[in-house]
Amino acid sequence: MEGKRKKEEPRRPRTSVKKTVVKVWNYKWVYLMLLPVLAYYAVFRYAPMYGITIAFKDYNIFKGVFESPWVGFDVFKKIFANKNFWSAIRNTFLLNLVTLAVSFPLTIIVSLMLNEIAGVAFKKVTQSILYLPHFISWVVVAGIATNLFALQDGTINMLLKGLGLQEVPFLSNEGWWIFTYVVCNVWKEIGWGTIIYLAALTGVDESLYEAAYLDGASRFQRLIYITLPSIKSVIVTMLILNISKMMSIGLDAPLLLGNTRVMGVSEVISTYTYRIGIQKTQYSESTAIGLFQSVVNIVILLAADKFAKLIGEDGII
Amino acid sequence: MRLSDRKKKIRIGTIVNYCLLALLAFVCLYPFLNVLAYSVSGYNAVLSGRVTFYPIDFTLDAYKEILKRATIWQAMKTTIEITLLGTALSLVLTTVAAYGLSIEDLPGRRIMSGLILFTMYFGGGMIPTFLVVKGVGLYDKLGALFIPQAVSVFNFIVMRTFFKELPDSLEDAARIDGASYMQVLLKIVLPLSVPILATIGLFYAVGYWNSYFEALIYIQDVNKYTLQLRLRSLLFGAELSYNADDIGANTVMTQSLKMATVAVSTIPILVVYPWLQKYFVKGVMIGSVKG
Repeated sequence: MEGKRKKEEPRRPRTSVKKTVVKVWNYKWVYLMLLPVLAYYAVFRYAPMYGITIAFKDYNIFKGVFESPWVGFDVFKKIFANKNFWSAIRNTFLLNLVTLAVSFPLTIIVSLMLNEIAGVAFKKVTQSILYLPHFISWVVVAGIATNLFALQDGTINMLLKGLGLQEVPFLSNEGWWIFTYVVCNVWKEIGWGTIIYLAALTGVDESLYEAAYLDGASRFQRLIYITLPSIKSVIVTMLILNISKMMSIGLDAPLLLGNTRVMGVSEVISTYTYRIGIQKTQYSESTAIGLFQSVVNIVILLAADKFAKLIGEDGII
Repeated sequence: MRLSDRKKKIRIGTIVNYCLLALLAFVCLYPFLNVLAYSVSGYNAVLSGRVTFYPIDFTLDAYKEILKRATIWQAMKTTIEITLLGTALSLVLTTVAAYGLSIEDLPGRRIMSGLILFTMYFGGGMIPTFLVVKGVGLYDKLGALFIPQAVSVFNFIVMRTFFKELPDSLEDAARIDGASYMQVLLKIVLPLSVPILATIGLFYAVGYWNSYFEALIYIQDVNKYTLQLRLRSLLFGAELSYNADDIGANTVMTQSLKMATVAVSTIPILVVYPWLQKYFVKGVMIGSVKG
């Protein structure tokens, strides 16, 4: 702050310092107001960042964060040598990729369909229903999913059995579990995802449609040649944004939907850090995995941002 | 193509579109209907698997049964407590942060905003945060369920954007009349911000109501279980139990009872949903435009 000021007024450094002090004094109540917020960030956001040091220490519960001995990269060597770690990373990418591959195009298609609806009441009711699952907790979603997909007494398998068909192990077969996971995710977030596209669609220039209509373009042609190009930049930005999150995954869905039989695909980075950190109290290992994930996340984010700017879109940071 | 042909084609396309969307809406709604149907259907109908999305042999026994359970009432009470306290704390902190950092020439504004925004991209992670929460004495306290996650950066950005868009002239006039920043916030800014406060407050409230992971790692005492944690124990019993503490809650429940519990814990969300819906679209739009 001060340095900047000096550059602007190089000949009167003293007055500028005085001016800044006076200004800061004038805002004293604002600073006082901000104090609890800054304290909150210092304690609950920045103090844990210091705690990351235990990834380079042999954490001892009696010695604590400060006194535990440094071990360099030993903890990382240990986790990198563990095949469960690589399996968790693979599963994180796999689940994110499959979910993205299904939900991304589907969200755009549903947005376009909603955009074509002229009836205000129908549109409103449909949107209300589609947005609703976003606000339901994952515990409830997992409970509902179990009720629907269970092998023994789930609604769907009962129905299949009634039709004389083979039951499907939605929750206990690894392949089918991925299917169930994706279905639950798509169900929960598809409506929510349309909001951003619908907003972009309202911004499309009406006169373009009129001109195309007069030129005899069919509805489908208008969709392909006007609507999609108009929201292209939102689509690209959303895609890049989603790709930048490939390495992060929520803990709730895989933890609640998963079970011991599908651990081979349901164990992702977040559940893995939880299991070895909280349950096995291997604090150093868990922290090291968390740090590895954060660093990879930032690298992907920066790369995605660079890429976005390179192809002429807005950055995502 | 003749004009009449084209009109006919358009009409078919429209009808197909309407039908597909109606089907999609039904698919979205179906699980909810399924839950409700199970919760109010007779025992035999549930057992034989005839229940789909409408009740068979209507009965409210499952609801009567869960309302008799003290553990549900206790979990409900705990959840209401943390939702109210948490939402209040979150709103106060987010509002002062957003207001203070929306003042354009506050010295240090950029640094402070930067420190807040940085936490969106990088954090200590699960275990270091856990150790800090434990270190400040919040372990196994209800405070652990809202104090450590009191401010969301997303909501901060939404609110700060809103405050920045308020006309400066009103605030300036009050300042010239000798009002302090605190007075400007309380008497001018807040009355103009009721819609955004309602939106953000609802976002926080829903978040606290649905939060489950914090309770899972910070709460040991079964008497302090939140609704979501209790619900998980009831729904999945020992099969999904990763904590030894869950064994006490591992009761055998019929599907009706489970689904009635799901319904009871979701109804508060459905009650606030119409208000939520009135505002969230705008909130999402502001939030997606980065600060």
